[in-house]
Amino acid sequence: MTENVDRETYSAARVRALESLLIEKGIITGETVDKVIDFFEKDMGPFNGARIVAKAWVDPEFKERLLADTPSAIAELSFPRGMAGAEGENMAAVANTPEVHNLIVCTMCSCYPWPVLGLPPYWFKDPTFRARAIREPRKVLKEFGLDIDESKEVKVWDTSAQIRWFVLPERPDGTEGWTEEQLAAIVTPESMQGAAKVAVPA
Amino acid sequence: MKLQHYIGGIEGLEPSSFEKKVFVQPWEERIFGIHVAMMGLSSHLEAVKSVPTKFNSFWTWGHLRQGAEGMNPFDYFKYRYYEKWLGGISGFFVESGYVTEEELSTKTEAYLVNLEAPLPSGGEPAIDAQIIEYLRVGDTPACDVEAQPKFKVGDTVTVRNPPPVDHCKLPGYLRTKKGVVDQVYEGTYNYYFPTGDGVGDPMPIYNVVFDSHDIWENITEPNTKIYVQIFEGYLEDPE
Repeated sequence: MTENVDRETYSAARVRALESLLIEKGIITGETVDKVIDFFEKDMGPFNGARIVAKAWVDPEFKERLLADTPSAIAELSFPRGMAGAEGENMAAVANTPEVHNLIVCTMCSCYPWPVLGLPPYWFKDPTFRARAIREPRKVLKEFGLDIDESKEVKVWDTSAQIRWFVLPERPDGTEGWTEEQLAAIVTPESMQGAAKVAVPA
Repeated sequence: MKLQHYIGGIEGLEPSSFEKKVFVQPWEERIFGIHVAMMGLSSHLEAVKSVPTKFNSFWTWGHLRQGAEGMNPFDYFKYRYYEKWLGGISGFFVESGYVTEEELSTKTEAYLVNLEAPLPSGGEPAIDAQIIEYLRVGDTPACDVEAQPKFKVGDTVTVRNPPPVDHCKLPGYLRTKKGVVDQVYEGTYNYYFPTGDGVGDPMPIYNVVFDSHDIWENITEPNTKIYVQIFEGYLEDPE
């Protein structure tokens, strides 16, 4: 029967079978997976990173502290408990400037700063991105719609040990006088990995 | 060599996908949740000792990665990210005796007939509480062990070229290359288990910067620097 089953349907049935057995055998509960997913939908996601970026844009002293000691600067803000939790134990921010563009990659796998960015998107985990971004970052970014001139230095950060990096993108023109809340609303996960600029909606 | 360790720099690939979804198929979030649960219930965590789960294994990112790095390298590229997780994690549960392949196949067949059939309910709430607590507390590799770093900022370092092991923390493209120490991280860091190629015990970690041309000569781009955090065990001793 499994011979002619579509690949995705088979995986869906297989993972459901596994989850079902793990619940029956008392390894996890009937609610475990939903609770984990809920945690990343409500508590830890890119909405946290967006707030940090917005704060850094309006408060230059906070920005300085964020770049010097990322965990303690984050601890100043009110977030759900766990900003130094799983995959956030050693986070560090790097700032884009007119002279430097930063891009984060994990060539060996998919390390990602969960508390500030949530879970990594497909493109970040794709072996093609991991293979190419480290050697030809501008070419990859151009495919993503971002032109970085050769006169600007590109720093590619390959996450291979304890640090989980994220990018403090540049504040776009046309946002003068905006509140932190308005600013946070335009900060995307891609901009916090250096794969896009923050754009002002038309 | 092990191809999985050498992904960075591979040539001849198609344009990169910019798919922004985390889970491209709904089933993928289920295997993600199971992996997080296993990490949160891993036997090496002190808090787990009083949790009424039947899981009693040591399970970390390192174990998941070891599975992916142990795959036939050509198969590695045939499967999507979470397909590899599903294969590795279900394989682990079978090999460790938690479930049998027969149970898994029978249940899979049943769900193929009706994917919407409900999951079992119930279980000890303390299990879920521990998993969420693990997510909030984390499992830091920082250690209380002091060590005198062998290098300082500005030193030129040479990356070692150890033989391949089951799980490696050193990106392949860096082997034998020279870089400059940009930062010496405070303290020492261990890894979940000894990798067999120099990492595991508490040791310093450095942020090392490489000029992309020192790695790829003329098949890279101008004005490009690569920053990598490298365990001291992966660096040649100072002369």
